[in-house]
Amino acid sequence: MRPPTQPGRIDGPIVAIEGVSKLFGGVAAVRDVTLHVARGEVLGVLGPNGSGKTTLLRMLTGFLSPTSGRLSVAGYDTERQRMEARRHIGYVPESLPLYSHMRVREFLTFMARLRGLDPRAAEAAVAEVAAQVALGARLAAPIRTLSRGYRQRVAIAQALVHEPDVLVLDEPTNGLDPRQIIETRHFIRGLAGRRTVIMSSHILGEVEKVADRVAILLEGRLLSVEAMADTPDLEALFLSLT
Amino acid sequence: MSALGVLCRKELHATFTSPIAYAVAAVFLLVTGYTFSLTLFFTKVANLTYIFHQMYVLLILLIPVLTMRAFAEERRADTLELLLTAPVQEVWIVLAKFLAALFLVACLLAASGAYAVVLGLYGEPDWAPIYGGYLALFLLACLLVSIGTLASSLTENQVVAATCSLGACLMLWFADSAAYMVPAPLDAVVINLSLIGHFSTFVSGSLFLSDAGYYLTLSLLALFLTTRVVTDR
Repeated sequence: MRPPTQPGRIDGPIVAIEGVSKLFGGVAAVRDVTLHVARGEVLGVLGPNGSGKTTLLRMLTGFLSPTSGRLSVAGYDTERQRMEARRHIGYVPESLPLYSHMRVREFLTFMARLRGLDPRAAEAAVAEVAAQVALGARLAAPIRTLSRGYRQRVAIAQALVHEPDVLVLDEPTNGLDPRQIIETRHFIRGLAGRRTVIMSSHILGEVEKVADRVAILLEGRLLSVEAMADTPDLEALFLSLT
Repeated sequence: MSALGVLCRKELHATFTSPIAYAVAAVFLLVTGYTFSLTLFFTKVANLTYIFHQMYVLLILLIPVLTMRAFAEERRADTLELLLTAPVQEVWIVLAKFLAALFLVACLLAASGAYAVVLGLYGEPDWAPIYGGYLALFLLACLLVSIGTLASSLTENQVVAATCSLGACLMLWFADSAAYMVPAPLDAVVINLSLIGHFSTFVSGSLFLSDAGYYLTLSLLALFLTTRVVTDR
């Protein structure tokens, strides 16, 4: 279903972030971050508000260019081979941006076509992803009528519709009710092994329950990357670092 | 090119589901229709020169309203992030927005072609100025839409986008007046920037490549700058 992009190009990490910094004017939002993510891993990027989580994710998706350093996804440099890199990424921004004037099916088909799927493949991909995120009953609904929970499902569906290797989620449980938060956690855990998931959060418990590893950011610096299995008390680790 | 087609479809859908398009179309056709009827009844002359000049003013006033949403709305709603993280060249995104707005203006001009048909049915108009006038209006629309798209790419506030676009268009309109304050040989350059100077020759039935080149060059420049603004992140 995915457009051909020289499969099997890499043996190492599917996401490589090497010495990346981002300056806005004179202010550094991200400073010299180096981080590798393995295929099938769920990585939680944890940090307080303003720590550079969103900027880091935006550079990974190609929305922002790094001031220095390099990032690659599936072996493709996000700057020099940005089209190829973007084909391997699905991205759910924090604000869940959707086209309100469209219906759910229309929006998902548009996003699938934009990612290079032909009309028939797009139609099949939309049906498949709608079933995956339990959207089937709302496919004909106008997006403007959806609740926050359903908007989030649509946002996740558009990110998965082209079957990317890497799913990037920026604060995926923001604004959801407790049941939706639990469902989202289960959904992300369900993706582990099949896709690489990088999710940002400022909630310790969120990362603790979902991630295989946690990367802790503060004021744009990467303070630590730990395996959750080796971190019995994330709260204590976070407090000791920050 | 497939991505351009997908984006154009989305932009056309957004254009024609917005009430702005219908408001602009209603005002344009109402005002030109009213003036056409009055002019025809009073002068009994089968030409559209007066109407073309009125359309020129209307396009300068209405196209900024039409294009103000292009990027400003995408920025406000954060949907630009979706487009710019998809495997699509930024230039296609810009072109799709430009072509969708231009298509709407072309539809309005085509609808106003009814006036020429009426003249053809009941009179013997000189067709050269009519063809020239419509070509001039289309080229003018290309330039105004590209300026509006550029203004919209610079801000997330639609009113600011429309105001900046209107200001730029008015400055171009009155550029020849400013030429009197500029010493030679710069005055010739300023005169040649004037929108109306290049428009009037078309409407009089004279076609010069330099006039068409003016509109096309400035349109391409504005589209290039828009692409740079969108790409520069």
